[in-house]
Amino acid sequence: MRRSRRGFAKYMDKRLPATFKIQITSMVDMFVILLVFLLKSYSTSPVNITPSDKLTLPVSTSTKDPVDVLKLVVSKTGIFVEDEKVVDLNDGVLDVKDVDENDTQFIRALYTALDEQAKKSQNIAAVNEEIEFDGKVIMQADRSLPYDLLRKVMYTSMMAGYSDVKIAVYSKQ
Amino acid sequence: MRAFNRRTEDATFDLNLAPMLDIIVSIVPMLLLSVAFVHVTVIDTPVPQAVERAIAAANEKNKDLVQVSLYISKNGGRFVINDRGQVKETAVAAKGDKIDLEALHKETLAIKQAYPDVFRLELNPDESVPLEEIVEVLDQIRTTAHGEPQIVFKDENGQPIETNLLFPDVIFGNVAGG
Repeated sequence: MRRSRRGFAKYMDKRLPATFKIQITSMVDMFVILLVFLLKSYSTSPVNITPSDKLTLPVSTSTKDPVDVLKLVVSKTGIFVEDEKVVDLNDGVLDVKDVDENDTQFIRALYTALDEQAKKSQNIAAVNEEIEFDGKVIMQADRSLPYDLLRKVMYTSMMAGYSDVKIAVYSKQ
Repeated sequence: MRAFNRRTEDATFDLNLAPMLDIIVSIVPMLLLSVAFVHVTVIDTPVPQAVERAIAAANEKNKDLVQVSLYISKNGGRFVINDRGQVKETAVAAKGDKIDLEALHKETLAIKQAYPDVFRLELNPDESVPLEEIVEVLDQIRTTAHGEPQIVFKDENGQPIETNLLFPDVIFGNVAGG
């Protein structure tokens, strides 16, 4: 009995410890590579695009970075001002009721939304000298939309005071 | 000998990577949220304003007036150059149901070499032309291609300046009822 107890104690001493270390070196290596890749593709661009089949921007060789101005989205399903839908489109086609009777280039609902934004910007510019209303707008439009619709959008934005239209594109580089 | 063995044992140690891993695991989700897999850029296309145009015209009253316009449709393109009242037209053929971009670029280069100090072009697309084709046209008329000769023009002081810009200042001429 005594001998067996001594044998058990010897066995317990020789046994590997219950705690062990996980080898995380390779995991850290993997994360560092991932971190470098993510840092390279980190973006602080004011224009964020959510890819969808209703809004695919055209591809261009232009390298000019976007500026933080009013965002106007023209997709196949509607026209959005600062992410708020103002006009419905049926697969890129404008309803007749949305166009002004006297001026076929004028989209009234879009004008109302843009005018509201312009007034807001002008009010801010009135109290803050550092901010100036310059009538700039970034238009994110689907590449398949015809110029007929885009012309109406540009004409209406011009009437609302946004005459400097910038077309958002995907960079080829 | 014993002292030597002790020294070699002390020289090797395990680096504790756990805090470093904690930091990386915290940063990765934050970066994943702000990652951009596509780079978005912009093309300037100011809309003509009657007042601005009148002011510009008045300022350039005594200067040579050259206006370059480009009309594009599914049947091809057409350059219209108004050189101090004399109007010249050049056609650009279509390739399939869209404008031949290579021919358009060659023609743009020829016009630019004839008028190196003109940078503004009035673009008049047809109603049916899709945005994708308009952007392709803008790419062709904006700058020279790689390997092409530079454009030389004279600045206000008569000094020659080399540039790869053709017509970077493009306005949509037919937006306001054109």
